[in-house]
Amino acid sequence: MSTQDRNNKNGAPPALSRRSFLSKGAAAGVGAAALTGATAANAQAQTRWDLTADVVVIGAGVGGLPAAITARDNGASVIIVEANHDIGGRGMLSGGRLHLGGGNAIQQRHNLKDSADQVYADWVRFDSNSSRYSDRDLVRVFADENVPTYNFLVENGVEFIDKMIGPEQASTIPRTFVTVEWHVPSEIVAPRRNRNGSGLVRRLEASARKKGVQILLRHKMTRIIREQQNAGRVLGITAMAGTNPVNIKANKGVIIATGGHTGNVNFRRMFDPRLTEEYQQACEPWVHQGADGELAAMDIGGSLWATACQTRDGGAAITKTRHIGCRWGYSSLVYETDSPMFQLARATGLTVEDWQDVIFVNQVGKRFWNEVDGSYNFFAACMAWHGDKSKLNGGGPIWAIFDADGAAREKWNTKPPNVDPDGFFFSADTISELAGKIKNPHQKQPMSGAVLQETVERYNSFVVAGADADFKKPKPLHKIEKPPFYAAWTTPILHDTLTGLRTNTNSEVVDTRGEVIQGLYAAGECQGGFAQHGLARCLAFGRVAGRHAASRTT
Amino acid sequence: MTTESHSTAIALSEPAPAEITAGSEVAVKVTVTCSAGCDLGGLPLTVQGPGDDKSECTLATSDPGNSESAEIALTAPRQVGPQTWHITFEPHEADGVRHDGCSLAVTINTIPHGTSLAVWDIPSPVLKGQPFTIKVGAKSAANSDLRGLGIAVHDANGAVAARGRLRDTPLPGTAALYWDEVELIAPAEEGLSRWSVRFAADSLALPHDGTAAEFSAMVSRPPEHRLTVKVIEQKSKEPIADVQVRLGPFRGTTDPAGIAEVMMPKGTYDLHVWKSAYEAPGRPIEIEGDLSVEVEALFVPEEDPDNAWTM
Repeated sequence: MSTQDRNNKNGAPPALSRRSFLSKGAAAGVGAAALTGATAANAQAQTRWDLTADVVVIGAGVGGLPAAITARDNGASVIIVEANHDIGGRGMLSGGRLHLGGGNAIQQRHNLKDSADQVYADWVRFDSNSSRYSDRDLVRVFADENVPTYNFLVENGVEFIDKMIGPEQASTIPRTFVTVEWHVPSEIVAPRRNRNGSGLVRRLEASARKKGVQILLRHKMTRIIREQQNAGRVLGITAMAGTNPVNIKANKGVIIATGGHTGNVNFRRMFDPRLTEEYQQACEPWVHQGADGELAAMDIGGSLWATACQTRDGGAAITKTRHIGCRWGYSSLVYETDSPMFQLARATGLTVEDWQDVIFVNQVGKRFWNEVDGSYNFFAACMAWHGDKSKLNGGGPIWAIFDADGAAREKWNTKPPNVDPDGFFFSADTISELAGKIKNPHQKQPMSGAVLQETVERYNSFVVAGADADFKKPKPLHKIEKPPFYAAWTTPILHDTLTGLRTNTNSEVVDTRGEVIQGLYAAGECQGGFAQHGLARCLAFGRVAGRHAASRTT
Repeated sequence: MTTESHSTAIALSEPAPAEITAGSEVAVKVTVTCSAGCDLGGLPLTVQGPGDDKSECTLATSDPGNSESAEIALTAPRQVGPQTWHITFEPHEADGVRHDGCSLAVTINTIPHGTSLAVWDIPSPVLKGQPFTIKVGAKSAANSDLRGLGIAVHDANGAVAARGRLRDTPLPGTAALYWDEVELIAPAEEGLSRWSVRFAADSLALPHDGTAAEFSAMVSRPPEHRLTVKVIEQKSKEPIADVQVRLGPFRGTTDPAGIAEVMMPKGTYDLHVWKSAYEAPGRPIEIEGDLSVEVEALFVPEEDPDNAWTM
């Protein structure tokens, strides 16, 4: 079965299937109605609900799937709407590494002592920027949910590799565990690239469907419906199925699990104005993180929380490109030519083994930092202003410049499909000519051949002398001198969303006045307050949200 | 029968580029308008180029009732400087209507094509007073045939240190990089020395600007002694292959036994080793004779994000 067919697993036309399954008590009719300023009675009266469930989950990823299963386990009927044509979100492309300890079964098998209290103590450490900015109320919940979440995953079919990784991030003991990759290559978006997260989301999907969760693919949430714009309880959502609006009533609650905001330039710049349009988002083009959930919640009063987490200058909020010469070069993600995403990705990229083989230049053709560094000082240098009066924020594209010898050392084949010559990879017989060939939507001004040539000549003199007088690159090893020459897109990529909607310990969204928005939840990267990289917090708070939403009285 | 007379006007739809390279082609779009709104579609325009060349094209109806337009390809002469094309709508009379003629002068500056250089296979260090060779390639932005043209290498004082003549065929793997190998004599002074390569690019059919590039090499005394460096992993004590060994301009790479041999003159150097995922501090080395040293490098694995995780 192709991924595109997954919407019709019930074997019936989707609309008929949805109605017969869940909306017996719903008002007939289709179409959305405006609600601005409506009262509770008016809102319900004016909205013609197409579908109804106890709990509506927005997003079928690592936050949404456990939320849906947990709500179902607690007796609620559940609809998930997913904007993509398949489930999984970014979890589908992740390495499947779960930071879940607390004394789980694997830790016990390896005689590693851990506890919820130890998880909490580690994740409120003041001496780690992974933990110091987090909301400790939420960390406490997370700590207590570690073992239950691990057990939940196992009970729902998720398989783990019996190895421990770590300590990582703020943890003081090994707490990272890897799920087993999904076994059907055609149902893995990046096959043959060790995307073990596919095993997590596919197995949760299977469990959710088996338990009766209805998953509506290609349904993009556009609005959360509240009794009044900034008051009352949340009633449901509007999603667009193509051009058709579908109103879905939530008797108990709506859980936002839409993922993060890294793909939304305007939104992400609230936290860091340097993050202008040239910075790509990890897991594109499979998933676009558009801040849809955050924006919809903020439209009805939702607040952000713990925004310092986003700009803590640590972890994987910003990452160095590892696969260069292609648009989407996130460190651990390669779309091979048999990936369903390859048509959009257009190139696999050249995987860098040693950053000594290239130099980095900014869009004016100048070196700006030591290339072997991958710290936040490097990212700050990438995003520095370099004199362009028309672009004061952001640093513009970053290009890796190398020569034939560098390509040979790295064993690179500099032809498509390894590179994308349509704006992300260029070659030329001379350095000066190379500069003139660089054309990219984010390259706002032509690169001067004279400047790039001067940059390379200067760097080569550092190699000859054995010391980088400009940026202290340790032992500059290789001159860039042998034709042909290459320029490969190496602009940093944004990964972690580390801030989002304010919630209480039940994952209920809180408004800008500190009041709970009744019936609205957030889990996953759209939830603020806990600056932990990876999947675990999404799973844990997805379960918390699903459990609490199911317990509400209608 | 009375003949009605209408005036016409001609203008560029978009500004023409201020400059183009000699011999290249540029498209300009002109519109011709009748004061009475007549359709001038199908009527001719004549184009008188900077030389004697003359051509004709036909107006197409682009904005019915307002104007007609034509896209005209202008070929620049192979001379540098301001060039003027005259685009003329000739007077035309038909069906009792006479359209007056109008003309437009388009002036574009033609400039030489660019050239650029690559200099590679430069040994470093070079031995003072001894010959060494480099390779120099020249490229025309117009991909012109550069075979037989001269290149000159100048020393830091501007004096010609060597000359070369570009070979008949471009360097394999390049589009049109014509190249030659040039022999130089290293200066008598030790230290970093710089040269420049200059390419005049004259006597080509298309005008080209010349260009220059710089390169450098470390000038050294002849090596007298053999330094043998063995690199091992700090904890396992296993030899590490493919480690880059650097002592200023002197360099080597370890073999599978973790050994690199570097020939060097007497002196004091900083010994550095480099390999991805290994860390080793630099250390001073005094070379007074043949010497063997062992360097311990700590393996600091950075997990490969592409690593496979299986049961």
